[in-house]
Amino acid sequence: MNEPDLLQRVLAALEPHAAAAVLRVATRLAEMTAAGVEAVHVGRSLPAALVELADRAQVELRAIAGPADRALLAELERPEFNAIVMGPGSDRHGYRPLGPTTRYVAERSTKPVVVVPVTGGGEGPERPFRRLLVPLEGSEPSSRTVLETLLPRLVAGVEVEVLHVFTQETQPRMLDDPVRDLETLGREFLAKHFPSASGIVLRSGVVADAVREHCDERGADMVVLSWSQHRTEGSARVVHDVLRSAAVPVMLLPVARDLGPTALPERQAPAAP
Amino acid sequence: MTTPKALEETFEAVLFDWRGTAVPDLAADAGSVRRRLEALSRHGVHLFAVSETPVADVDAQLQARPSGPGGLYVCANQGSEVYRITRRGVVLVHRRVATPEEDEALDRAAALVVAELGAKGLAARAVDGGVNRRRIDLIPGLQWADPKVAETAALPTALQKRLAAADVGTLADVVELARLVARRAGLADPRVSSDVRHLEIGLTDKADFARFAASVLADQGVTGSLVLVVGDSFGPVGGISGSDSAMMVEELARAAVVSVGEEPEGAPEGVERLGGGPPRLLEILDAQLARRAAGRVPQVDADASWLVVLPPEPSKERVAEALGSLGNGRAGVRGSVEDRGPGASPLFAVAGLYDDQDRLLHGPIWTDVAIAAARGARVAGGSRAVDLRTGVLVRVDGVDGLRSLRFVSSAHPHAMALRVEAASGSLEPGHLLADPADAGSAPADASSAPADTGSTAGDAGKAARRRGATVVASTGTGSTRLAVAATERRREHGGRTTLERLCAWSAGPGGPEAERRAARQLARARAVGFDALLAAHRREWARRWRTAAVAISGDAEAARDELAARFAVFHLLSAASSAGEAAVGARGLTGGAYEGHVFWDADVFVLPALVALRPRAARAMLEYRVRRLGAARARAKALGHAGARFPWESARDGRDVTPRLVHGAHGEPIPILTGTHEEHIVADVAWAATRYADWSGDSAFLDGPGRDLVVETARYWASRVRLDRSGRGHLYGVMGPDEYHEVVDDNAYTNVMARWNLERAAALLERGERSAQGPRSDEAETWRDLAFRLVDGFVAERGIYEQFAGYFGLEPLVVSDFAHPPIAIDVLLGPERVAGSQLIKQADVLMIHHLVPTAAAPGSLEPCIDFYEPRTAHGSSLSPAVSAALLARAGRPDDALELFRSAARIDLDDVTGTTAGGLHLAAMGGVWQALAFGFLGVRVEPDALVVDPHLPAAWQELALGLRVRGVRVELRASHEDVVVQCAAPLRLVVAGTEVEHPGGTPLVVPTMRAAPGAAAAAVTERSPS
Repeated sequence: MNEPDLLQRVLAALEPHAAAAVLRVATRLAEMTAAGVEAVHVGRSLPAALVELADRAQVELRAIAGPADRALLAELERPEFNAIVMGPGSDRHGYRPLGPTTRYVAERSTKPVVVVPVTGGGEGPERPFRRLLVPLEGSEPSSRTVLETLLPRLVAGVEVEVLHVFTQETQPRMLDDPVRDLETLGREFLAKHFPSASGIVLRSGVVADAVREHCDERGADMVVLSWSQHRTEGSARVVHDVLRSAAVPVMLLPVARDLGPTALPERQAPAAP
Repeated sequence: MTTPKALEETFEAVLFDWRGTAVPDLAADAGSVRRRLEALSRHGVHLFAVSETPVADVDAQLQARPSGPGGLYVCANQGSEVYRITRRGVVLVHRRVATPEEDEALDRAAALVVAELGAKGLAARAVDGGVNRRRIDLIPGLQWADPKVAETAALPTALQKRLAAADVGTLADVVELARLVARRAGLADPRVSSDVRHLEIGLTDKADFARFAASVLADQGVTGSLVLVVGDSFGPVGGISGSDSAMMVEELARAAVVSVGEEPEGAPEGVERLGGGPPRLLEILDAQLARRAAGRVPQVDADASWLVVLPPEPSKERVAEALGSLGNGRAGVRGSVEDRGPGASPLFAVAGLYDDQDRLLHGPIWTDVAIAAARGARVAGGSRAVDLRTGVLVRVDGVDGLRSLRFVSSAHPHAMALRVEAASGSLEPGHLLADPADAGSAPADASSAPADTGSTAGDAGKAARRRGATVVASTGTGSTRLAVAATERRREHGGRTTLERLCAWSAGPGGPEAERRAARQLARARAVGFDALLAAHRREWARRWRTAAVAISGDAEAARDELAARFAVFHLLSAASSAGEAAVGARGLTGGAYEGHVFWDADVFVLPALVALRPRAARAMLEYRVRRLGAARARAKALGHAGARFPWESARDGRDVTPRLVHGAHGEPIPILTGTHEEHIVADVAWAATRYADWSGDSAFLDGPGRDLVVETARYWASRVRLDRSGRGHLYGVMGPDEYHEVVDDNAYTNVMARWNLERAAALLERGERSAQGPRSDEAETWRDLAFRLVDGFVAERGIYEQFAGYFGLEPLVVSDFAHPPIAIDVLLGPERVAGSQLIKQADVLMIHHLVPTAAAPGSLEPCIDFYEPRTAHGSSLSPAVSAALLARAGRPDDALELFRSAARIDLDDVTGTTAGGLHLAAMGGVWQALAFGFLGVRVEPDALVVDPHLPAAWQELALGLRVRGVRVELRASHEDVVVQCAAPLRLVVAGTEVEHPGGTPLVVPTMRAAPGAAAAAVTERSPS
């Protein structure tokens, strides 16, 4: 019997150009907690290629009607779904980093949204997920709750490693012996923000760069970002940058339900100075 | 209705008025009071009775012969005499003796008052007044002669009529008149009171009694809210304050004050009115006895200037554990909650005890208590605090009234104790000793441990066993075992369970033997008992603070500065034992970080404070070095050098235990170069030896065991220095205190310290040769020559030292371009960038000025501060305090204050984020040094103690206690003067004024800076008050 808290069903949003990777990521995500996968395609009918793909994966595929963004969000909000996996989407400007549909869902969903990158997705991960990377800024007051309550429902049997890139607030003031003191610093950071994590890496520099480098070096299978779905200075920028550069799927864990201003850069918005 | 404080709290001392409070009159039977007082004395409660009558009257009525340990004092004659009543009888302990001039003034005052009243038409008469007082009868008529009549309510009315008829106003007016007249008669501080019928003019009153009691109690570590004051007349009577209100002195601020009298006109603010007369006092005493019988958790004085409140957030629990650490120099325990959760990091350890891998040996955990519905790190609706004054950790929890108190005895070094109380059913049995290997999990249940089988205890205390009522466990290997024995007593009383745990430790080879020794130590502790152990512990801390007092007054922040300074001194005093050898690790025994390893932190930062606060502890620290000279010699030899090469990081046997290589986050090897290159430690050890000798006056140390600390280190330098073609000496390939630049040539600090070491050793050699009248060796001459040749990087035209060869050619960055210090700028910019720049981690060149100012180029302090301070990131916890000391010394105390605060808050605010791993003892040593050497400008010269204060504007006054050459000194500096008190004759130079202090009476020395005109002002005595 499944524990009620665990992931029940993963919704895979399939569209022709990223379907294989999305379906594979959804499968990998679901298998961690023995959840099921159900796929949808927004359209009047189902393309044959998608049907064949779903059949091969033994995943139920349905067509749903309506504007893609609203249809997918409505589907995700059904109680049997705990998360959605989807491609980044695109618009006439290309990948920047999310298309309007994915952004719409990501900003409004109360449930996790896993974005499968176009560049690194390919056919999707061939082996089960083993290691997740959670970049943490250390100032998100509610992210601990989300990580402690929501994440364990989604993942199991994997190593969850925290990456903290020093910010102005967390920049160490004194390190008598950098190696030994950073060890203590990391341990205390975890105690404060994510006690159940299996380890922590402390870095300086740009978060997205550190995430990319770390994923390359340590072979992380997925990046987990908690975010407020707000256009707050730091976290929106970090989400944006990580989505833009990540070569592995990125899970966005919504921290707050408040549907404020969009967390991701507007399509036409000028770059911040 | 709330329960009166007097019935609900535990007090360590009770002050009470005799007539009216303890007994209804002087003829009443006092047997019921006597029985209670004797019982409280047996429990260690100190008792003080005050009476206006001679002691013989009180003694005859009370007939008490208490056996102690609590003292029973009777203050007679309105505060002029104090007697202690013991099992053997009554002993005078204090008497205020009036001078002939004061006696004459009293007579004069009484006569003048009678005359003045007579002139106004009120016939009054001087009558016998007793010791140090004169009494004037305001109603001399026969009808009021009978005391029983005089005590009736008719007396005030009758007197008021007389006063009104004579037109002298109210009784309060008469008292005020008497006070004015007494002053006119020559009494500086007349004490005027009235029992309505009489007017008394005296030299003392109940305030003197209260101050005496406060003084006695302070020596016992009993202060403020640990004291209960009971009287029957605090409120005004006839317009004048009740006589018992005089007991509410500043020295007993925070004491609970209770009136059992009627108080017809009300009691003053701060006095709890219970009424009920003497029977109520008996009830109060009974409540105290009941609390002791139930073994209730003792309390601490709620004095915010001595209490360090631990952070309550669960995420900061390990920080709280470090901040809540207690130690006695030999053993230490972290402040983990009794019902700790999985994230806790408890530690019990003994100084200098390491495992086979040279890691601090963790002993069995004796602070766990199984509490129903364990809260872990959460302290619900309550708080935890360390009382710095008495060295205890207390916890008050809102849920089921959980309270606890623990201490590591400073009087009985092997004893430790814990008491917990909660609602019945909340405290579960067992769990006396836990395995430190399970420190991160729920405590093991030792109550289910097998009975003693006589076998050796297993690893890490897993085989905690019972021996009768005692549970023993030990950790370590065969050669090094740390054993703890514990016993527990549970009591149920009034719906509450109290648990009292006594523990003792022992260390040494052999598990069973260590455990047996621990059990024997425990038997001794049990014989003393919890209450007496705590009383002795408080007394010892009171004694320590008398020498090591620190007080700061000033703006709102000054109170925080004072608490932080006391916190630092508290941990310094807790860091080293005063006997044998003391291995003082970088984090002491407050955490596992750095594994108890000994660095230069001990020699240069902690020792200079301890030599002034606990000289014997400083000596024990040096003994640690003396006993490891063999290893230091072996290291020097292995490196191809002579003499002794002390290790950068050492543990049990004095070998270098600095890690050579660590692995980074991705497994990449990172070489650690401090062990091989940070050689200044060699001179630092020599410096510590001479600092101890110079400050303590123990010159025999340098002729005896300490000699080789100076001479052998000099031999090392002599063999280490390389001469270039021009004959100049160099030290190539070293690392200075600034570890951002790892391997450099001719680090100025290292070179100047090596030079100082060579010169000091040469002088020592020559002194020895002179006293032995033996042949003069060439070695001293060679060392002097080498010292002369050694380059130091000083650039005369700029007035500054170059930190190392080539430093001036590095990228000229300053810290403010990137961040506000303190900042670990190597993390911010990357180590390579920083290594290529002039940014430095900590005071390096400036350490020359801090440690050996006379060896620094004259006039170089200010230019070096100006150059190096902007480049210093203070990315080491050792740094800010040193700069604070130097800035203050250089006359920039306001700049110094900012850095002082940065240093003083390192652990209290967890500035480094690493306090969880233990407290930064070196920073604490630096804090004390900044106060003493910086703001007070203290230094020891061969013939005098120099004091040259520079206080920041935010501080009004800074007071420090210290010892110099065996003399206890208290310095109290303000912006106008310095008050100097010495326990014995001492020569000082205070702000440029030479002072021959005779010992005893404080001297006030005006400071020249405060008011130029004050320079000519004479040194004056300050009255003892």
